[in-house]
Amino acid sequence: MRERTLFLSAIIAIVLIGLGFLVAGQANLMPREASTRAVEVDQLFRVLLGVSTVIFFLVEGALIYAVLRFRKKAGDESDAPAIHGNTSLEILWTLIPAAIVVVIGVYSFQVLGSIETPGRGPRVVEVIARQFSWGFRYPEEDLATTELHLPVGQPVVFQITSEDVIHSFWVPAFRGKRDATPGQVSEMAITPTETGVFPIRCAELCGAGHSIMTSQVVVESPEAFDAWLAQQQALASDPGQFFLTLGCGGCHTLAGAGTTASVGPPLDGLAARAGDRVPGLDAAGYVEQSIVDSDGFIVPGFQPGLMPKNFGERLTPEQTQALVAFLMAQP
Amino acid sequence: MTATSASPGWRRYFTWNTDHKVIGVQYIVTAFVFFMLAGILAMLVRTELRAPGKDIIDGATYNQVMTNHGSLMIFLWILPVLAGFGNYLIPLMIGARDMAFPRLNALSYWLIPPAGLLMLASFFAGGAEAGWTAYVPLSIGGPPGQTLWALSVILLGFSNIMGAINFLTTTITMRAPGLSMWRLPLFVWGMLATAILSLTATPVLTAGLVLVAFDRMIGTQFFAVASGGDPILWQNLFWFYSHPAVYIMILPAMGIVSEVLPVFSRKPIFGYRMIALSSMAIAVLGMTVWAHHMFTSGMDPRLRIPFMVSSMIIAVPTGVKIFSWLATIWDGKLRFTTPMLFALGFISMFLIGGLTGIFLAAIPVDLHVHDTYFVVAHLHFVLFGGSVSAVYAGLYYWFPKITGRMYDERTGRLHFAANFIGSNLTYLPMFAAGLMGMPRRVADYDPEFTVYNELATFGSLLLAVSVLPFLYNVILSWARGPKASANPWSGKTLEWQASSPPPPENFEQIPTVTSDPYAYGEEAPKAAEPAAAPATG
Amino acid sequence: MSHDAMMHAEDFRAGAALGVDHRKVGMWLFIASEVMFFGGLLATYLHYKYILGFPEASGLNIVQVGINTTILLTSSLTVVLALSSIRAGKGGQLSIFLLLTIALGLAFLSGQVLEFSHLYGEGVTLTSSVFGSSFFTLTGFHGLHVVAGVIWAAIVLVRGLRGAFTAERNMGVEVFGLYWHFVDIVWIMLFTLIYLIP
Repeated sequence: MRERTLFLSAIIAIVLIGLGFLVAGQANLMPREASTRAVEVDQLFRVLLGVSTVIFFLVEGALIYAVLRFRKKAGDESDAPAIHGNTSLEILWTLIPAAIVVVIGVYSFQVLGSIETPGRGPRVVEVIARQFSWGFRYPEEDLATTELHLPVGQPVVFQITSEDVIHSFWVPAFRGKRDATPGQVSEMAITPTETGVFPIRCAELCGAGHSIMTSQVVVESPEAFDAWLAQQQALASDPGQFFLTLGCGGCHTLAGAGTTASVGPPLDGLAARAGDRVPGLDAAGYVEQSIVDSDGFIVPGFQPGLMPKNFGERLTPEQTQALVAFLMAQP
Repeated sequence: MTATSASPGWRRYFTWNTDHKVIGVQYIVTAFVFFMLAGILAMLVRTELRAPGKDIIDGATYNQVMTNHGSLMIFLWILPVLAGFGNYLIPLMIGARDMAFPRLNALSYWLIPPAGLLMLASFFAGGAEAGWTAYVPLSIGGPPGQTLWALSVILLGFSNIMGAINFLTTTITMRAPGLSMWRLPLFVWGMLATAILSLTATPVLTAGLVLVAFDRMIGTQFFAVASGGDPILWQNLFWFYSHPAVYIMILPAMGIVSEVLPVFSRKPIFGYRMIALSSMAIAVLGMTVWAHHMFTSGMDPRLRIPFMVSSMIIAVPTGVKIFSWLATIWDGKLRFTTPMLFALGFISMFLIGGLTGIFLAAIPVDLHVHDTYFVVAHLHFVLFGGSVSAVYAGLYYWFPKITGRMYDERTGRLHFAANFIGSNLTYLPMFAAGLMGMPRRVADYDPEFTVYNELATFGSLLLAVSVLPFLYNVILSWARGPKASANPWSGKTLEWQASSPPPPENFEQIPTVTSDPYAYGEEAPKAAEPAAAPATG
Repeated sequence: MSHDAMMHAEDFRAGAALGVDHRKVGMWLFIASEVMFFGGLLATYLHYKYILGFPEASGLNIVQVGINTTILLTSSLTVVLALSSIRAGKGGQLSIFLLLTIALGLAFLSGQVLEFSHLYGEGVTLTSSVFGSSFFTLTGFHGLHVVAGVIWAAIVLVRGLRGAFTAERNMGVEVFGLYWHFVDIVWIMLFTLIYLIP
């Protein structure tokens, strides 16, 4: 009887562990791995998934077996055996989970050390979060942009902060997330390994526009990245540079600036089509009102209360006119 | 003029009454009303999230709905309903006539309706919209309702602290003769551990809420970034309470499971002392893990490590309970009454919640899944699949004792089936959504997450519908169900020695306890004898 | 019969076996929760002291408040003497020491008002800076607890004058004493951490 139990237990253990490996190897619930840390995080995740699968099926299996096997027989009102405990068993099921937890803890500690250590010669990129868009700054080039571009393979250290409330900078494909806290700068080390376009999402409730506070990171070849930098620098010396530095591109599509966000209405061709939005305002007048009085006219299909209301204070009248002229000049 | 439990009928439940049994029912019914309200808010959330894009409510309204859903569920449903169980059962289970401080007990309850109204009022005064976590500076600058929200939670904190003082004093000083600590029912052990947490952690949240209220109402500079205020300070004060809070929400539930399983297996609880000690271990460890909610906050990276360690270690005493429960039903003679079904459902769903907790404790994984739907799934598995299942188990189990009538078993099983299927269908897809990249607390999402949200919404419809058989069963049975005997389940804890429902003084004679409360399968005298037997205690 | 009237000494026999009165247990537990409340406020003060330095703290008057601290400490002595008086059956002495406690408590509160006005005069207010907010909230809540204690002392005094306490039955005085000593100890912590430690 004892040999049979042992044999059965061994078979069950082997099957379960096999299932665990299967699940760990095959399960693919994560986005594409696009950074060095993604590879290590996913590996740790798969190990945890495998271990959890084994434990789950063990416990659940025992439960289902017990439910089927130990159902009270009809007419039997007697008690079950008076078993109060089993010291060896209780020690075992305290020590084995403790051992598993220790192993997982040590493994996690190693992975943590590895993923949070910046690569060699990292490029610093500042991330500035605000309600409800992302701004970026490349300090080496003294350049503020509304899009995040990175050269593939080069280590990056993000320095992340916020201008108002707490946001959180998250690129699921990188597996890295760090809060953007006002008054503080938090650092996060990432080395992108795949070219492509990956979503950036805000991961800390920040107000009415939290769910639409998305952006994209474009990981490209070093040549393409340099070309993009040059294009941005050219734009920065344009009188309409405020479009970039104020973060307009974080919410508005404008072909001339290369932005594609759709939180707010698209801004292409305003000169031609914005003249009849508000009675009494020509296109230029409408554009100016939209900047300084952001809720003055809500384009159908878009939500009020999301565009910052203080551009009128942040820009001098001359700067506002320069921005309006820039926008009116866009095809 | 004090109404007593001898007053006729339903009126005593609406007045100041110092009988712990009346207060217990007041807590439970009031909490259930808030459960229904919070559930309606949940249905609003799931309706909006069924498809991407704005469907019925905009971002600002969504944040208010979501904030109040969480706040009502935590502060006005789970915490008070479990306190209600504690209130009703502790004196009965320890052979006492009432709590140590009956008037303080009544006050604890009567803080809840005004606090609840205050929180509901906040919804209409420009509602709190910063989540139940109220991170600063968002909550400092938010609409006026946020202040009402803060005041409401402060009041509820007072209620909890008073309740904890009562539970602890009662258990320490009022046990019947012969009822040593090692003969306490495990539900009482669970409440003991819970009360210690309530007593020590709640005041820290109160302090934090005072700071937030002061910043909002009188212009103090606690969280004013421009003056040097630190938003992370709020997170520490908040989570120092709110992590132990989740153990306050689960330990009594685990205690209920420990009561139900032996009775419907006709078998002693397996590993009684380890289960009792594990409750205390979880309480102590639970005070050391709070910063695992802050791994992405930019806190000192080295400080994260001890919190990862303690958060993983807490899996061990939790596992001890699960294995002990399995061993309890193993070789038992199982009866699948509704309470038993919910207790078994608890184990299954809490297992998933607990295992995913280990994922969250592993910092590298947490840095990806923090503040995503992975966490939403985890918390609902432990709080809904876990605590709510146990509450239902307790409501059915003690229904005959409290009301003196029996519920309908078939309707109960229907409720269980709908609840179990609905829960899993609603919350399992959320794990996938979170891993794939869906953040938490969003009114809108990328279309790639649509299928998970559709499944979750469909599951939530089933959950909403599942409450109907429960309400039908409870209301009809309470009014007209068959009369219940003192001990319809052959339970061995002391409340089953009293009539159903018990008289105002609980016991004609305080019993003397001669054995532990799970003595099935032995040829031993019954758990409690009236004074006629020689006192051995 | 209301439930609190239903309770008798034998209901608390487990407590008697442990040698503790349930009212004392209740007060100790209440004090534990209050310690945690002040802990939260104190942690706030110390956190900001650590990261901001608190230059405004130079306006604090250590000597005056030091004297005030002595006054509060003395009031704990009078409370001890009050309790030992009633335990010896001396109701009259109980009243005298309670009156002294109230007087010393009020003197402490006046001293705090003096210190607060002095700081306000220098522009350090509850809302002027993080220091002001932290300092006044922390010491303000302590002051509120002293006010509550003074009121409680007056209630105990009145009850004592009406003969509520005897050499054997004086738990009301003892429980009040526990609270008062707690308020005193909190002040010692606050004085040390706010005034004495640079």
